[in-house]
Amino acid sequence: MRRNGHLYSYWLVLPALFIFGIFFVAPSIYGIYYSLTDWTIGKDSISFVGIQNYISIFKNSELRLAICNTFVYAITVVIGKNLNGLLLALAVNTKLKLRGYLRVVFFLPCVISTIIIGLVFVPILHPNGILNSFLTAIGLDAFRQSWLVDRRIVMFTIAGVSIWQWTGYHMVVYLAGLQGIPQSYYEAAKIDGASALQRFRNVTFPMLAPAFNINMLLSMIGGLKVFSEPYALTNGGPGNASQVIALEVFSMFGRGQWGLGTALNVTLTLFVSIICVPILINMRKREVEE
Amino acid sequence: MSCRTKRKWMQFCLEVVLLLMTLIIIMPLLIMLLGSFKNSTEVTAFDLSLPKQWLAENYKTVFEDGKLLSAFKNSILITAVSTMITILTSSLAAFVLARRITRLSKILYYFFFLGTIIPMQMMPTIRLFTVLNIYGGYTNVIILYTAVNIPFSCFLYTGFIKGIPRSLDESAFIEGASTLKTFFYIIFPLLKSCNITVLILLFTGIWNEINIPLYFLNNPAKRTLPLSVYQFFGMYGGSNWNLVFADLVLAALPVVVLFLFMQKQFIAGLTEGAVKS
Repeated sequence: MRRNGHLYSYWLVLPALFIFGIFFVAPSIYGIYYSLTDWTIGKDSISFVGIQNYISIFKNSELRLAICNTFVYAITVVIGKNLNGLLLALAVNTKLKLRGYLRVVFFLPCVISTIIIGLVFVPILHPNGILNSFLTAIGLDAFRQSWLVDRRIVMFTIAGVSIWQWTGYHMVVYLAGLQGIPQSYYEAAKIDGASALQRFRNVTFPMLAPAFNINMLLSMIGGLKVFSEPYALTNGGPGNASQVIALEVFSMFGRGQWGLGTALNVTLTLFVSIICVPILINMRKREVEE
Repeated sequence: MSCRTKRKWMQFCLEVVLLLMTLIIIMPLLIMLLGSFKNSTEVTAFDLSLPKQWLAENYKTVFEDGKLLSAFKNSILITAVSTMITILTSSLAAFVLARRITRLSKILYYFFFLGTIIPMQMMPTIRLFTVLNIYGGYTNVIILYTAVNIPFSCFLYTGFIKGIPRSLDESAFIEGASTLKTFFYIIFPLLKSCNITVLILLFTGIWNEINIPLYFLNNPAKRTLPLSVYQFFGMYGGSNWNLVFADLVLAALPVVVLFLFMQKQFIAGLTEGAVKS
């Protein structure tokens, strides 16, 4: 045959492998080295300082808060997006006349930049904004909040905006899963006398597992890497109440603390890997079983 | 009430409830749209009232002050070039990964897989571009968008190509076609629906992204659309929300219009990625 003995030569993988390997993977690897140095702006030499950066990350209360906020945010969006997405999908999956319209409207926010969505919500969530006026108008005065100003709820507000934007996306993924369930399964269950709730528990729910896994994974990754939502809505404020890991990395970059920033970035990578790899392995296992 | 009419009634209620829920999505966007036509005091109500006077000149002001046109051009350039390179390199790689069943191809597949989860290392990457002397311009942003998007695209293409019968390439090989020729003349034309999926995925992803330009574009003249919007907000957010809204509308418009014209392809394209992999 050909020179290298095979028609599907690995040479064709090379361009993609080169770009991905050099510009994505390599910095992630030698980044670990930089995270162990005192690399700072204006310094001529870089010296090795061991795990000093990591120690100062976990000693710093502002950074601890940012890490904590990131997890609170991630968990909130995972629950919010999946719960809302699933409920909407179940509702839209019935024989509705408006189905097409509903899908388009719920999906619309996903195609708009997060930064734009964030900025639109800034005045809406203002203490005198339309959300609070609306709550008063419908008699829910008790629910009025200083959405972006109250440090106890600001992370949840930001998560809420993200849930608003992405629920439609997760709805469509669940819808695809629902439509993949053969109608005959439901008919068989009906004949066996299963109630609507039983049918959901024993047919719909297990059959939705792949869609569920994907939605969990995507919302979790997005949640942990979150940057633009708080960047647009609060820029970390009030004070440091809505700082998240990626925002802190960005401000360290701005201040020229590159070694420390890299250490924080590596920490984020570790968090993402520890949480998301098990979900992935679980997904692959399921695939093999089927 | 008979069972049937009861059911119809329930259906109707569900439909009304869902219709009301779409208002939750529509209202914020409508506030933005209406606000963009108001004057700077009227807009501060941030409500759904119609503007007393429709001020289209807000858009003109924004277009000139916000330097929207240059940001638009930058976004087009960066999005188009990185999308093209990504599609080309990842479909080519996927061709081999889908056809070869060896340990190496499996390892490569998982290697690419890493890139779909792991966050980028910003500062070490900047270091690399500084050494290569391309930091700060279009080139490093384009390279990065390509590097970041290759894994997922590769993934989609591999899955898709596996569904194309091998006998097609084999008959081309027998005719004496080279691998590249086979790929570009036989396989690539068959990738049409996958190409559309990847195209939509990359286009919306890159067009809306802000992180990479924030770190890797140091020249204000080269900033992309979402970045210019944020800077515009910084300039006018205190006093002229009508202009900010007009700026947001203009920045969102290109993708929203495309979406409204190609809803089916968009929804399928953006979610297929998730469903298929």
